[in-house]
Amino acid sequence: MVGVKSNIFVKDKVAIVGAGLTLFRRRLLETPRDLAWEASREALSSAGLTLKDIDCIVVGSAPDAFDGIHMKGEYLADGSGGFNKPVVRVFVGGGTGVMVPVVAWWHVASGLCKTVLAVGEEKMSHAYPHPQGVFAYIWDPILERPLGPNLIWIFALEMRRYMHVCNASKEDIALVSVKNKRNALDHPAAQAAAKITVDDVLKSEVLVWPVQLLDISPVSDGAAALVLASESVARRVTDTPVWVEGIGFTLDNTHWYNRDLAYPRYLEYAARMAYKMAGIERPWREIDVAEPYDPFDYKELHHIEGLMLARRCEAPKLLKEGYFDRSGELPTSPGGGLLGVGNPIAAAGVMKVAELFWQLRYEAGARQVKKPVHKAVANAWGDLMQAGTVVVLST
Amino acid sequence: MKPERVPGRYIREEDLRRLPGVIEYTPTARYSYSAGQALSEFLRGLKDGRILGKLCPSCRRVLVPPRVYCEFCFTPTTEWVEVTGAGRVETAVISYIGVARERLEKPEIIGVIRLDAPGHAENSFDFAGLFHKLCGVTEDDVKSGRVIGMRVKPRWKPVHERVGSILDIECFEPLQPREVV
Amino acid sequence: MSLWKKSRVSDVVHVEGRMETERYIYTPGPVGVKVAEALMEGRIMGVKCGNKLYIPAKTYCPDHSEGELVEVKGPWIVKSYTIIYEDMYGAKLDKPVVIALVGTEEAHGGLIHYVEVEPDKVKVGLKVEPVFRPKEERRGLITDVMFFKPVEHS
Repeated sequence: MVGVKSNIFVKDKVAIVGAGLTLFRRRLLETPRDLAWEASREALSSAGLTLKDIDCIVVGSAPDAFDGIHMKGEYLADGSGGFNKPVVRVFVGGGTGVMVPVVAWWHVASGLCKTVLAVGEEKMSHAYPHPQGVFAYIWDPILERPLGPNLIWIFALEMRRYMHVCNASKEDIALVSVKNKRNALDHPAAQAAAKITVDDVLKSEVLVWPVQLLDISPVSDGAAALVLASESVARRVTDTPVWVEGIGFTLDNTHWYNRDLAYPRYLEYAARMAYKMAGIERPWREIDVAEPYDPFDYKELHHIEGLMLARRCEAPKLLKEGYFDRSGELPTSPGGGLLGVGNPIAAAGVMKVAELFWQLRYEAGARQVKKPVHKAVANAWGDLMQAGTVVVLST
Repeated sequence: MKPERVPGRYIREEDLRRLPGVIEYTPTARYSYSAGQALSEFLRGLKDGRILGKLCPSCRRVLVPPRVYCEFCFTPTTEWVEVTGAGRVETAVISYIGVARERLEKPEIIGVIRLDAPGHAENSFDFAGLFHKLCGVTEDDVKSGRVIGMRVKPRWKPVHERVGSILDIECFEPLQPREVV
Repeated sequence: MSLWKKSRVSDVVHVEGRMETERYIYTPGPVGVKVAEALMEGRIMGVKCGNKLYIPAKTYCPDHSEGELVEVKGPWIVKSYTIIYEDMYGAKLDKPVVIALVGTEEAHGGLIHYVEVEPDKVKVGLKVEPVFRPKEERRGLITDVMFFKPVEHS
């Protein structure tokens, strides 16, 4: 039955049938193409398919300036199997990771492609002395750059506002970092997995108060890939296809100091778009497991509220009660998220979707959450507090 | 447990330097950014010691920084309006690092300031605002949260030092008790 | 409606800036390291995929399977070429430079490199051979081959 529940007519239901990723590390020997190839191969072999079975390719990679190669999408294309096939490159900053399955979704849902290989890759280690230097020119050159800003300033300003509006302390927020890094201990690709305490976070180097070193996800190299297929192909290839029930994406403006930073409005709009498509009316009750984007610890709480999985300012309280633990009511980042596994900008979001893919099929091993899981949501976020991308999965 | 195989070879910086086939490259891209119509006028206003905004004829909001279109209504903005520059601190943080993550000698306090401007309701989600340094504010003010909601005004550089840049405002400082702008 | 807009370029303010990254250091990749080591030994590598040979060597084949690194022995020929008279900024070069796509009969693709030959002597099909730097100057980069030059007829 096609397009019945949803408010959108689709030609073909879409499912994820395979996923794979490379190691996430501060510096990998592989070239960007090699990384894309390794991840694609893992995803294809996990689905039991070869490149011949793939119709279209979607490549996601964040600024060319990280890898230092202009027109990175075209460069990565043949590593992702985009050799004489339709290829599209996607880029919305950090939101790219979930934008990749969103774009791949509409390739299949429209009936244009029966199978799509969706790859996210990032190689940040090429930039010297530190990839942060590349972030220096995300700022408006007229009004913002003369002040000599560091990208962490924006996150700190947002975190401070969130702490003020929701009366959350640094201790409350640091629990996210503790939880995710601990969850990542069971992830084979993890870069920053560790058993830390709230105290460790509070004692780490203060960069831009309130942001401290252990509040931030690491700089990484890595790639991750997914294979999406139409209903007929999916049912042939696997017993448990993971259906992509809803997608959403929204962009706010770059005038980030012209709006309240305590709440991600753009994410709520993207989430509503996805939930409506998936027929979900009470996400806080219907979603079983979530992978909210967590480049910083407070961001996970911010996004949990934007995804309407908790009321505004309720997330820190629920976190303290263990609501978001793997054994809790609504586990978030059970795989370790960006804080634990790593943050190669575009690949990180794809890694999160891959984690949900394994969770919904009960294949996550030691990372598997305690409760039964049917519906999941992942989101990514990018640019100057602008882009929200959401995908809803179910079995 | 999935994923079963995770390919990739970790390498440290010192090992990388010793390998054959490593390429180094320095990009030489330089830019001359046009400020555009609205911001050019805004910068000229800063040189004169004024903060200018633009009025949207549809929603009657005054937009700071000014733009040639109102993104809420998608209509061209019409008149120029000067705002006093007084406002409230929305959020503020203390930075110990600079652009390239180097440690600063003296920590800087930066904030987002919600400016008093016509057209925006008191507590609306969107507001006319600027991003700038704060002075006359202590680290404890920031950490305790006292700084949020504080009334501030711009401290201008002396006339002869102003060039038409956002730095013509030296910083935003708290209003003195009973001071009115 | 837009009477206040300025139409002269000099009336609009311009702000200077540059890309902030100091430099890039590119990793060669596991296969790239092998190719680099071969260059240092004076060998040019290609990759064998099934019964096809591709130059330059890549980690994977077009069908995504892993390729096998093999040495490309030649004989090398010019498959295509161009002659450059001006540099990037439009200044005339002292001597025109010949750039060519150099490959072998059996291999797909080729290497882009300099050919040390008079511009009026170069043609498609010209037989050439690589001239390497002295061994101690080689770094494992494509520039370990200084240029290709026409094969002398004995």
